[in-house]
Amino acid sequence: MGTLGIVANPSSGKDVRRLVARASVFDNQEKQAIVRRLLVGATQHSGVKIVYHDDAHGIVRGAIEEQHITDAVSMPSADTRSAFDTIDAARGLKEAGADVVITLGGDGTNRAFALGWKDPFLIPISTGTNNVFPILSEATVAGAAAGLIASGKVDPRTVATQQKTIHVMIEGERDDIALIDAVLCLERFVGARAMLDPEVLSMALLTRAEPAAVGMTTLGGLLKPLSNREHFALLLNLSPSAALRLNAPIAPGYYREVGIESHRLVNFAEEVVVEGPGVLAFDGERERRLLPGQKAWLTVNRTGPKVIDVPLTLQRAAEHGLFVTNT
Amino acid sequence: MAEAVATPVANKARTLTYVAAINEAVRIVLQEQPNSFVAGEDVGGAGGVYGYYHGLQKEFGADRVFDTPISEEGIIGLGVGAGATGCRPVIDLMFMDFMGECMDEIANQLAKMRYMFGGRATLPVTVLTMAGAGASLAAQHSQSLEAWLCHLPGVKIAMACDPYDAKGLIISAARDDNPVFVVLNKMSLAMKGEVPEGAYTVPLGKAKIVRPGTNYTIVSWGRMVHECKAAAEKLKAFGIDAEVIDPRTLQPLDLPAVIQSVKKTHRCMIVHEAVRFGGFGGEIASQIQELAFDYLDAPVARVGAPFSPVPFSPALEKHYVPNADSIVAGVKAQLGL
Amino acid sequence: MAVTLTDSVLKDIHRRMVRIRRFEETAGKMMENGKIPGALHLYVGEEAVASGVMVHLSNQDQITSTHRGHGHLIAKGGAFDRMFAELYGKATGYCKGKGGSMHISNLEVGMLGANGIVGGGPPIAMGAGFSNKFRKTKNVACCFFGDGASNEGSFHEAANMAGLYKLPVIFVCENNGYGEYTPQRNHQAIVDVADRAAGYGMPGVVVDGMDAVAVYEAAGEAIARARAGEGPTLLECKTYRYYDHVGVRGMGLTYRTDDELAEWKKRDPIELFESRLQEQKIMSAAEIKAVHDETLAEIDAAIQFAESSPFPDASAILEDVYA
Repeated sequence: MGTLGIVANPSSGKDVRRLVARASVFDNQEKQAIVRRLLVGATQHSGVKIVYHDDAHGIVRGAIEEQHITDAVSMPSADTRSAFDTIDAARGLKEAGADVVITLGGDGTNRAFALGWKDPFLIPISTGTNNVFPILSEATVAGAAAGLIASGKVDPRTVATQQKTIHVMIEGERDDIALIDAVLCLERFVGARAMLDPEVLSMALLTRAEPAAVGMTTLGGLLKPLSNREHFALLLNLSPSAALRLNAPIAPGYYREVGIESHRLVNFAEEVVVEGPGVLAFDGERERRLLPGQKAWLTVNRTGPKVIDVPLTLQRAAEHGLFVTNT
Repeated sequence: MAEAVATPVANKARTLTYVAAINEAVRIVLQEQPNSFVAGEDVGGAGGVYGYYHGLQKEFGADRVFDTPISEEGIIGLGVGAGATGCRPVIDLMFMDFMGECMDEIANQLAKMRYMFGGRATLPVTVLTMAGAGASLAAQHSQSLEAWLCHLPGVKIAMACDPYDAKGLIISAARDDNPVFVVLNKMSLAMKGEVPEGAYTVPLGKAKIVRPGTNYTIVSWGRMVHECKAAAEKLKAFGIDAEVIDPRTLQPLDLPAVIQSVKKTHRCMIVHEAVRFGGFGGEIASQIQELAFDYLDAPVARVGAPFSPVPFSPALEKHYVPNADSIVAGVKAQLGL
Repeated sequence: MAVTLTDSVLKDIHRRMVRIRRFEETAGKMMENGKIPGALHLYVGEEAVASGVMVHLSNQDQITSTHRGHGHLIAKGGAFDRMFAELYGKATGYCKGKGGSMHISNLEVGMLGANGIVGGGPPIAMGAGFSNKFRKTKNVACCFFGDGASNEGSFHEAANMAGLYKLPVIFVCENNGYGEYTPQRNHQAIVDVADRAAGYGMPGVVVDGMDAVAVYEAAGEAIARARAGEGPTLLECKTYRYYDHVGVRGMGLTYRTDDELAEWKKRDPIELFESRLQEQKIMSAAEIKAVHDETLAEIDAAIQFAESSPFPDASAILEDVYA
């Protein structure tokens, strides 16, 4: 009997980027419908125990009740209506020994999850604003893949890729983490979190430089693509006065011209030091302010979540004839 | 004081229907007040369910004559918010029965905003709405609910009995700086009458002596005015020479005109299409006994609809709505004739 | 981003928040002392919302408010003396003593009244937004309402019409988690009121209502959109009221816990903001204290004004019913 953990972030897909950038809105009914479909997929396989984070909106609980799943285990949840709820949920699922976890959210949700549990076997379903980290997959199928893994039919080590992460040490304060990008911007407040003003961008460290995405990752992606598999990161020094200009979708539906001062590859474990004043944004959202003179040390490694390849999982299962019965 | 005859007007009169008179009035309002607009259900493309906004959207554009969703609370709220901020809205509330959907906006916002704000808000909002039974539209599309409005300090209520008054009252309402309801009657839509060209007003708060008389007073409004006139003719056979007074507006109410008539005739009846019990006739009767008790030779009588919802079947409805015969019967009962 | 956050804007937001907090604390005391008759619904805890939105507005931009409306009027530029006089029921009050706390208003600064009816504001704001568009001004109407009001039909009718006509209206939901005494989980099946926006063809955004900068940025975008003719926005601010639904100690009802209140107070919008202003060296502790002191002095003078003002004459009852 294996355990499938489920976390749905009720706050994903609702911030100010819907106004400026026309990012998509993910209402919680839609998230609940997604959970319901993934439960259907997951429960096609026997021997799957479900442990879930009972979020303040009751997204997963509602779906479980609708599916008449009676033996799912609800984890007591922090109710701070902030990213801490997701962090807390991750810690709980780790403690519960989840064999695989499905998250619903965007890059920010998965980042918060990784703060609580750095390297789970993970199927991140995108219901967020920037969705570089999560995968686009029909929930039914993602659920089926999770079921195959939780029930022990497919070995997750054969179908997962461990992700790069940026570990962030901030002088005198708690550490932090980013999965896709860490950006220093010349702002003073975290505020509404979105990063929409190209004039204030100063530095970007990217674990991936995806040309076919939105967000800060595209600043590298459209300049010097770097895949998830390569053992490097890309560092960009940005300045509004730089001669080299790049027009990039820094948020969904939102292109802006950004000045690129210089760029270079960064090795794993190599330290990138930044200094305040400014605000550090992780995975598209302003998160931590740096006071004047306050330092932060950023290092990239491949120590992050082990993301399951959903098509590969199903292919393996099919190759082993796991879907066929012979009467 | 009441006018003995219609207000003299400069322009020559033609015969128009009630619908055409309403249409002409709204056109004049839109012409003379650039910050006015007409908003309501089906008023734009369809020209109103009874056609009295016909052609206005074409003439004034969809910015000034436009359809709203079926959202009475929103529609009246549109009037309140726009009226308080520099517009002069003309709001169509298709049927008066729909006041239930928007009574908060009427009673708590529209009627009270000026007072609650110490006189610092002005709400020049005109609401045109339709009352009246007789078309087999049953209990939710036939009521005469003017008494609901009369209980609300802050709004004015006009009752248009004929084409002339419909036009003149609408123009007065739109020129007034207060919320004014002009209550129209769906059974009068095809009624014809003399209507002058151009702008004229029927003043708010000034009663009209529809038929002069010497020894009996009938106070009535809306479509019932015509039934009262017919009843007055029948009452001649009993030696009764009835004076028919139409207050035209129930708030403000031209009480002096009523009292003056009662002091002359000593006998009085109030007739309205609304349910008699709790109707506005009770208020007028009470005022008469307070102000002219010593002049009365008989208790003040009232004729109105019975205490039931408006029935659907024509067989029932014809007995429900007061008419000349039931008014005559009421007078006979009152006087023991 | 269209919104720029200068030091002067930050100081302006701070001053507005302090003014609200100090006014409300004093009003609460005066009510308990028996100086202010009737019911007071205090805005303490929610200051970041009114201040973060109002700093974007001019006197020609309108707002509609709620029964918890003092904060909105203060942030919109209401004067303490006229406000206290109104709360006292004096002739010198904004409404000549006829409105009181629940109907306090000042049309000169575009404040279309507190409203005693939950859900009373949205249709009026929609109408004001229509008026702005009709009169071809570039003004916007901001409608403040609560999670409770989002269940009233009036909100839905107004939101639908604002979306339909693309009106310059910003629906600012102050979601404080309670409809009067009923927690949100017992009064609606959703947690984010912003989810309702999609049904009316407008964007819905959730923002931390305890963070004035977050409110400021999001409101700035919504207002810029409205001014540009792009239509309404539903901006939901998650916030909390420190005092009871009505009054200071309320009716002693046990509908929420002290722990919950304590948790929210850790994120106090003013303390949070002041510590950031100081760490960023935008304001010193002394400058912050001066804002509080000036505000308190102004309140003292306003109380003096209210107490020395005459009550309205009985003859005023019949005045102002009609124009």
